[in-house]
Order: sequence, then structure tokens, then C-alpha cells
Amino acid sequence: MLSKLAWRNIFRQKRRTVLTLMTMTGGFVLSSLSIGWMNGSYSNIILFFTNSRTGQIQVHHEGYLADPSIYSTIDNFEQVGSILDSIPDVRSWAPRIYTGALLALKPAGHTSNVYSSSAAASVIGIDPAREQEATGFSDQIIEGEMLTSSDADTSLSSTGQILLGKELAITLEASPGDSLILLSQAANGVVADKRYVVVGIVSTGNTQIDRRTSYITLPDAQNLFALEGKAHEIAVLSSTLNEVDNLTAAISGRLSGRNLETDSWKVFAKEFYNGMKADESSLEVMIFIIVLVAAMGVLNTVLMMVLERRREFGVMKAMGTRPGFIVRMIMLEANIMGFISILLGSIISTAGLLLLSKHGIVMDPPLDYGGAVFREMVASISPDCYWIPAICVMLTATIVSCIPALNAAHTKPAKALRTV
Amino acid sequence: MNNEKIIEAKGIIKTYDDSGVPVQAVRGIDYTLTKGEFTAIIGPSGSGKTTFLNVITGLDTPTEGEVWLSGRLLSKMSGNELSDFRRDHIGFIFQAYNLFPVLTVEENVEYIMLLQGVPKEERHNRVMSMLEKVGLADYAQRLPSRLSGGQQQRVAVARAMVSKPSLVIADEPTANLDSKTSGALLDMMRQLNEDTGMTFLFSTHDEIVMRRAKKLVVLTDGKLDGNSPPEEYE
Repeated sequence: MLSKLAWRNIFRQKRRTVLTLMTMTGGFVLSSLSIGWMNGSYSNIILFFTNSRTGQIQVHHEGYLADPSIYSTIDNFEQVGSILDSIPDVRSWAPRIYTGALLALKPAGHTSNVYSSSAAASVIGIDPAREQEATGFSDQIIEGEMLTSSDADTSLSSTGQILLGKELAITLEASPGDSLILLSQAANGVVADKRYVVVGIVSTGNTQIDRRTSYITLPDAQNLFALEGKAHEIAVLSSTLNEVDNLTAAISGRLSGRNLETDSWKVFAKEFYNGMKADESSLEVMIFIIVLVAAMGVLNTVLMMVLERRREFGVMKAMGTRPGFIVRMIMLEANIMGFISILLGSIISTAGLLLLSKHGIVMDPPLDYGGAVFREMVASISPDCYWIPAICVMLTATIVSCIPALNAAHTKPAKALRTV
Repeated sequence: MNNEKIIEAKGIIKTYDDSGVPVQAVRGIDYTLTKGEFTAIIGPSGSGKTTFLNVITGLDTPTEGEVWLSGRLLSKMSGNELSDFRRDHIGFIFQAYNLFPVLTVEENVEYIMLLQGVPKEERHNRVMSMLEKVGLADYAQRLPSRLSGGQQQRVAVARAMVSKPSLVIADEPTANLDSKTSGALLDMMRQLNEDTGMTFLFSTHDEIVMRRAKKLVVLTDGKLDGNSPPEEYE
């Protein structure tokens, strides 16, 4: 009887019910699309950051992240790599050496020891083949070509190959074919200097990185900086983004006892992760405002419902209906409307999310997020897009109907029966 | 008729203060209703009939005085106890029918039995039997909005009596009905009173009710002005 009464009461004022359902459904859809949009955008950004450069997981010598030092190395990184190869969810890995140097440009055609420009830069030693497999590095070369095989001559007397970040190349006024001298200090304390020829210009999409980064082959870097067989970092690419935390734990377990630390992108890209979390808070505020607006609509409806039926509640109480029955009936009415809104909202949201996930919104002007430029953002569909708005709608319906329901339940029958 | 007291009211005063100006609607009434009575409280509009009925059935609280319902003091009952007492012992018939518009005739009549937890089959049988008695068995699946005023009041009568309460309170039950319908309805209630001993207490100023009542109680300006058999009143 309770559910029968509640269900039929909802449709006593069809127009008002439709308006309320529209308000609640609208709230659900807006929340759902916001979550899908935000998740999709973040997934894009995370994938961009991790797939194209950092990897989702990184292995370092213990303490390296807190205090990067040329001496904190992963010794015998090939052995670590073979362990990584045996873990199913590891898609690929790439070893790297990080250090800093002064680069001095000697423009093509100049034979004298005249250097036209110089700049401090970070130097990353990469394994071209592994880097290509892991991050598709060559796709970021906008001019010139990729570093050739790691087997090239790495002796200090030979001329090595170097890639320059786009903005660094602009600073140095360098272009492919130009020569430069790299000057630094090796791990053994001796001066590390070598002549290089610029073979290409790299654009990672992150101007801050491209302004200060150059790349040489890993064997070349190991030889130049006296780090034979060593690396500072192994970037690991995971098969699935959602399983990164589990995979991090698995790798950490397999590498235990080697003085190595394994971290996910949430740790080594902490600033980015925290920024993302801060943005999530703004999403929560937005959802709160949407829910608040929807709640006002529901409150208005429930209050009207209770006011119009005051005489009826009086009759119910006169006939011996307990107050609890009336409370349950009114709250059930609001919750049924909430449930219908969730059903309708889920259908509309799914259509909207599918559309936004296939045809993203073109960002004009492009969105610059931490130096990474995004021209199109797409939504992603996940359970979050449904359960969060669903809980919000049901909680809103319950909370908002609570006071009017209690009010109705405590109607004084004699007074209510006097109302017209 | 035996002398079992259904209602005993002592020194009832009810003062309304809704608009800031105290208005005394009931001014010190002592009244006893015994089992099997078929009594009408009569008096002009504004004499306090409805207020008095509300107070003695626990729908309203007296400003002063005590009400005993079947030996239980009303003011000592909790909200739920009072609800349960009304559900199990009192049937109400209102002037404006007050049927639930979203429920069918059958559902309206079975409502109280649902609250009482009567099994489905028994509910159905009792509802249909009662609807037969009031001549509305064929209208069981109709909504109240598709019935005439007289039919709606008969549904209200069926609803009030289907749970076999010991007391039926009827506040101006014939006010919206024509004389023929009123007479038929009153005859039916009187028959039930004779057959089952069910107690009826009306508030009215309708002569049709007065003529059929076994006893009349006159209320004037919130005070009892004596009681008498209807022939004496005439």
C-alpha cells in the first residue's frame, strides 16, 4: 500500500512531477558529463605526460627522486630490465641517464674555435631503440632525424650525435648539421667534453622541457660521464593506466633488496598529481552547486506536495495511520522521482558521453597544461560518471524530503481537517 | 444497550488562540457515551459540535478536562498509541467524504485493514461484503473522482465500518447529500447499529439524522443544553 500510494501520488500533479524530474535529471546529466569530461581530460593529460616522456612508473636508486645525483645510479640496469620483461603488465621500459652540461654552438661551416652561443642544458642519455618502443620518441622530432643506433662509436675523440629541444635550439640558434661542444663533469671527477653534431630538433609539446633539454645516446652518455653499465632511471610503460598502482607494487616487490625505489607517476610527478587533485576539488564544488540547484527544485515540489495534501494527512492520521507511515510515504515519493531521474539521466548521459568521447571538443585557443598543449579534449565513460551523480540525486531526494515529511507526519488532524 | 462507557468526558474546555484572540469553542462539557448508542449532537453552526467530536476522539487536545476512551485516559496515550487506538476502535465519516483520490473504491475501503495487518483474502472479502451492503460492489475499481457525492459518502461509510470499530463518529455526514440519499444512508447505519450494537455518534443539524437518532444531545455556544429522545426535541 505504501509504494502504491507513493507511486500514484507522484502522478497527481503530472506537470509538476515532469518539471521536478527534469530538474533532477538535468542535475544528474550535468554532474555525469562534468565527471566524464574531467576524467577524460585528465586521462588525456596523464597519458600524454606518461606515454610520451616519463612512463607511468619509474625505477631509481633509493633517494634519487628526493636528491637527484649523478652518483645515485641503477647498477647493471640490463639485469633490472630483464626482471621487468618478466612482469606481464609491463609493456616496455627505457633506461636513461640524466646530467647537466654547458652546450656551446659552433655553426656549420666554421672551422675556427669560435662559438657563437652557449646555454646550460640538461642532457639525457637514451637508448634510441627502447625509447622508440616505449615513448615513440621519433614522433617528437620535428626537424632532422633520430639518433642512430646505440652501437655507434662512443669514444671521446669521435663526434657524437645530439638532439636539441626546440626552444633550446632557438636559444642556441642551432639547426641540424651544426656542431657543438658539450662540457660537463663526469662521475669520476674528470672534465667531460665532446664534440657533437646536431642531428635533429625535438618538440615534446612541453615548452619548459624543450627549453632546457638535449638528448644523446645512452652508451655515449655512459662513456662520457663515466657511468658504464649504469642508468639513473628506468621508465616503465604499463599496459593499462588503471592498473598502475598494482603494477608499481608488483615491480617494487620484484626489485626488493636492490636499493632501488619504484614509484608511480603520482609520486614522481607529484606537483602535477597535486594540481590535478586541486582541480578535482573544483569539480566537487561544481557538482555541489549543480546538486544544490536540483535540491531547491525537489524541495519546492515536496513542500508543495505536503502543503496541498495537508487535509489528506489529517484524514490518514484520524484513521489511525502512524506518523512513521506518512514519513516513509513522502520520502518514498521523493526517492521514486530520484530513481526515475537516475534512469533517464543515465540514458541521456550515456548518449552525451559517447558523443563527447568520440568527437572531443576542439580547444581554441589550445589548452596549455603544465607546458603541455592540448588542442582537443575528449570525455571518458567510467562508473564514476554514474554512481557519483546517482548517490547525489538519491541523497538529495532523501535529505530534502526529510523535513517536509516530518512536518506532514506531525500534522494535527483536527487542524488539517479544517483546511479547505 | 448496556452501560459500558465508550467515551467519558469531564470538564472539557477547548480554547482556540490561532489569531491571537482566544475563542472558547467548548465551555466545560461533561458527557458520557455508552455502548450501542445511536446519538446525534445537534446545534447550530459554530456551536462547537465538530470541536467537541475532535476532542473526545483524540483528534484535538482539550485545553482543560479529561477524556476517557474505553477506559483509557487520552492524555496519557503516546502518539502511536492514540493512532493505534483510533485505527482499531473508531471509524470516521467526514462531511467532505475525504476519500483518498489516488486509491480505488476497494483500496479506500481496505486502507484501515491494511494498517491493521488483516490478511489479503480476508480484506478482500470484507471489503466486497461491505460494498455490497452500501450498494457499490460494481464500483470497486473506480476512483472516487468518478463517483457522485452520495456514492462517495457511501464509500466513506463503508470505510468507517469495514474494520468493525466499536465507535463510529460521523461529522455532518449528510451535509452534502440529497434527502433521499441521506435517508437511505442513515437507515443503513441504523440497521447496522441494531444488528451489531455498533455505537454511532453524529454531529448534525440535519433533521433526517435527528429523526433517526435514538438520542439527541443539544449543544449551544459550546455548552451542553440537555439531551433527550428525538420526539421530545420535536
